[in-house]
Amino acid sequence: MGDNGVKRSIRLFLLVCLAVLQLRAEDLLSSIMTDMKQFNEIATQTKQNEHYQPYIVSVFEAKELEKLGVSTLKEALLLVPGVDMATDNFNNQTPIFRGSNPFAYGQSKLVIDGVLVNNLFFDSYSEYLSMPIEMIKRIEVIRGPGSKVDGINAYAGFINVVTYAEDFEEFESNDKVVFKYGSYDYRMGGFVKNFKSKDFKTHIDFYYQKDNKNISSGPDGLSQGALGPANIALSQSGEAPLWLDEYSLGLDVRYKDFRLKARMLQHKQGSAYGINLTLPQESDRMKLPSYYAELGYMKKIHSFKLDIKAGVKYNAFDSKAKLAPDNLVLGSVVFPDGIYGEHYAKQRVLYQSTYVKYSGVAKHTITIGYKARQTRTIQMSSKLSNLATGDATLVDYTLTRPFFDKDASRDVYTLFFGDEYNVNTKLSILYGINYEQTSYEDAGFEPRVSLVYSKDFKNIFKAIYSCSHRNPSWQEMFTKNNHARVGSTDLKPEKVTSYEFSYIRNFTNESYLQSDVFYLVNKNQIYNSATDPVYRNSAKTDIYGVELEYKGHIFANDKVYANYTYLDGRYSTDGGKKYNLPNVSHHLAKGYYIYSFSGTLSLGSTLKYVSSKDRAKGDARSKVKAYTTVDTSLNYKNRHYNYTVNVSLKNIFDTDVRYPSPQNTYVDDYAQARRTFLLTLKKSF
Amino acid sequence: MIRALLFSTLLIQLLFGYNYDDLVLKAQSSIFPKIMLLDKKVQNKLIDNKIIYTIVYDTSDYETALHVKEYINTTFKGYFGKYPYKINLVDFSHLSPNTEASALYVLKSSTDNIKKAADIAFQKGIVSFSYDVNNLKDGLALSLMIEKSTILYLNKKYLHVKNIDFIDSLLSMVKFIDKNSI
Repeated sequence: MGDNGVKRSIRLFLLVCLAVLQLRAEDLLSSIMTDMKQFNEIATQTKQNEHYQPYIVSVFEAKELEKLGVSTLKEALLLVPGVDMATDNFNNQTPIFRGSNPFAYGQSKLVIDGVLVNNLFFDSYSEYLSMPIEMIKRIEVIRGPGSKVDGINAYAGFINVVTYAEDFEEFESNDKVVFKYGSYDYRMGGFVKNFKSKDFKTHIDFYYQKDNKNISSGPDGLSQGALGPANIALSQSGEAPLWLDEYSLGLDVRYKDFRLKARMLQHKQGSAYGINLTLPQESDRMKLPSYYAELGYMKKIHSFKLDIKAGVKYNAFDSKAKLAPDNLVLGSVVFPDGIYGEHYAKQRVLYQSTYVKYSGVAKHTITIGYKARQTRTIQMSSKLSNLATGDATLVDYTLTRPFFDKDASRDVYTLFFGDEYNVNTKLSILYGINYEQTSYEDAGFEPRVSLVYSKDFKNIFKAIYSCSHRNPSWQEMFTKNNHARVGSTDLKPEKVTSYEFSYIRNFTNESYLQSDVFYLVNKNQIYNSATDPVYRNSAKTDIYGVELEYKGHIFANDKVYANYTYLDGRYSTDGGKKYNLPNVSHHLAKGYYIYSFSGTLSLGSTLKYVSSKDRAKGDARSKVKAYTTVDTSLNYKNRHYNYTVNVSLKNIFDTDVRYPSPQNTYVDDYAQARRTFLLTLKKSF
Repeated sequence: MIRALLFSTLLIQLLFGYNYDDLVLKAQSSIFPKIMLLDKKVQNKLIDNKIIYTIVYDTSDYETALHVKEYINTTFKGYFGKYPYKINLVDFSHLSPNTEASALYVLKSSTDNIKKAADIAFQKGIVSFSYDVNNLKDGLALSLMIEKSTILYLNKKYLHVKNIDFIDSLLSMVKFIDKNSI
């Protein structure tokens, strides 16, 4: 071989080496890109990148809340900026977002692992507020009309509960068993179990819990003439049965591109403050069972992502109680042994949705889809003591004096279009429109535009304009023959137009300060009253406010979270004079602090301040008092045997907390639990 | 008033804050070793034919360093590409120019400690990865953040370092950053 041959061989060898190196580098780059994509997906799904999302969102990790002794979903939601809690005579509790209509249900939506669980009767989700925190992995709360799930319209707030069914490669959750014991003889037991094989992934969670909570309440609504002036003297004060007895079984099965989600919740509670605002007996009860099953199919085909779901949901309102005390007089009839009642209404929802996401156009992700819902009452019965003779024995009034329209039904069709346009690395715009048609009053077109501008990692700005609505709940439309609530099918949807601005200052990966300004214009607000029990679109409210939220730490091994909300606004009925917002706190401040002494022992404390609330126009009672509650908790985790013991003391200063009652009902409002303790034992596997 | 509040909060963070985000730790543990292999001169950094990946930590962060080590071992199972590796955990107080390292992964610490680690990496001509992007201003080379998406940051200073030569495709993926832009 001559010199030229040697040179050629060397060149060839070098070229091969370079090619091999290039190939290896390309493999590495491709592997890095895949990793980055995977972490992007996890960050988006887990809201790790919450500050870049086109809505105002707060995320709470349940494991952190457990350290604070937070025991239920309700307790967790009380930490959310701008969220207060309201209740009613059923003890149908509902979170109030930014002071929006404290006596309405359904202005916020609760979604568990992507399934909307608001019940049809009230459009509330009170029965899920007692869900133990140990069954929950993460809670994502969007304030304002935004929504994480296509086709679900949140009005004032959207709560996404993610259970341990969520599964990412290398981020698997532990199985666990948990037991709790606390005040009011509270007992709870539950477990979380995951099974995994090549194609199948199965998740099961189960819990059972009960207590015998009774809280001193009254005088009841009779004192205000709820059942006429003749019965005022029969008014009572005493222990309101607020006990709980429930169990729940959740199931999540994934096979390739299919996913089945199902849950059965059997919720039973005391009759609280009485259907007719008269103090019930201790054993009187209300059941709010909730069952659902949803089958989904999700497939990525090139630039398309297809998401098809179909589901069925059953809810019921099932009450059995003494409705009025002995010797009650209605007209000319005297009831020497009082009035008893059994009310039952069962509803069914069938739904189907299809959404297609297309990311084939540079910088755009376009979503288009529809959701169709068919809702029906499938069973109803109404039994009362004999209204003609006053005899306490139950008479079937299902046909002659139903408490609810047995033929109630409503079909809802929603079309959705949206586009997320990433203009450049700093600016993204989300715009879209929802159109909804129902078999009653339509909500029509509702646009939404959201801009997120990240100047750099430390400075992020958001501007959001959105419109949304809340369809009247079934009790607002179909309740009949009731002294406290009368439905109307002429109701229009409540409507909101919101303007929100947000600035986020990131200090590090783990600490930030967020400030939000919002202005909400609410129309067609649905109200009724004790003197006029018929639900009407009677109010308009303008609400504005500021939210501040900080998360970070002061020392090594601690965590601090604090938020403050100021809100105010004007309220008017039927176009009349404007008044201050009734039953709304203008200042809300919440926060928690966790100090870890070591990897095993930590001390946590939460603080909540809720300012006083004005009464509604014409209500002469003094304001609902402000209150501050402090909880504290000691948490021990044994890493060797993987068990945790938590002891917590709640409301340690025994503060008198009351949720407002409407005028002419429980004059002293609805008293809540005072100081309580809770012991939690958890073993992970 | 608000400025003062922001300033003191920031100061407190810098003085005391050694909390870590689990997802960021995992992302960095998965991606940094691969980036190291994109250095054309990686072979020059082998020690006894091995890559020595040194995690530098503050005493109070030993558990975190251990957690990172375990995660890397689970992910890479003994090899970064074709090279066997060893992970060393070194406390800042024990870090010196004599510390064996093919690359440094630097957890959070005081500015002095970060500067010390950056200087040593620079002198040795090895890549230094930082948990906290803010520490690139003190001389560390690369970091990763989870923003809207996962972003890699490279300290501009390392574009023209004699012993480190990343392939061009990597340079087109990263965001450059210098002292003044942090």
